[in-house]
Amino acid sequence: MLKTDKTGIERAKKHLNRIRELVAQRPSPFEGMTKDEVIEQLRKTRKELWEQKLVTRT
Amino acid sequence: MLLVLDSNEYIFGLGLSREPDCEKLIDTLREKHSKHTVRIPRLIVGEVRKNLSPEVFKEFILFINQLTSIDEDILVPFELAAKYESKGLQPEDAFICAYTEWVGAGALVTENRHFLTRQKDLPFKVSTAEKIVGIL
Repeated sequence: MLKTDKTGIERAKKHLNRIRELVAQRPSPFEGMTKDEVIEQLRKTRKELWEQKLVTRT
Repeated sequence: MLLVLDSNEYIFGLGLSREPDCEKLIDTLREKHSKHTVRIPRLIVGEVRKNLSPEVFKEFILFINQLTSIDEDILVPFELAAKYESKGLQPEDAFICAYTEWVGAGALVTENRHFLTRQKDLPFKVSTAEKIVGIL
């Protein structure tokens, strides 16, 4: 398993900051949703992806 | 500690829907990289991808690749997922539990009640970001 060195952690910080900057600039797909609604939406996404995965394997 | 983070932890932690505890979890895991390890399966990467723009997803992959490597779903033994399905979990949730067991994680971190209410008889803890940050 990969263990990150100090340089890697600095890079991770840079990417994480960039993600949060970009996310803050755009409308979120979860705008106006409660925490439970977001979780429910993600459960639906998981189910869809899982079903797609099964279809492609059979 | 070795941890598996559910997709909701990434979504909340990256700021797509603000949950300070989840943001703190992501920050803590990055800062305390030498003490803790994160594992992530392809399925969770796919779930995160569905909710990010291509530009943000590229940054997410660069971020994840600094912390860990992505495990292919097919590596997880079918029998392990079947065990969790027999306990009443949906197949896709059973896979997440099987993956968590397979990698030997100490905890699955999630805000999903469907996991949080099924703590019994699991070989790993199921915890929220708020609770796990307190012990990291």
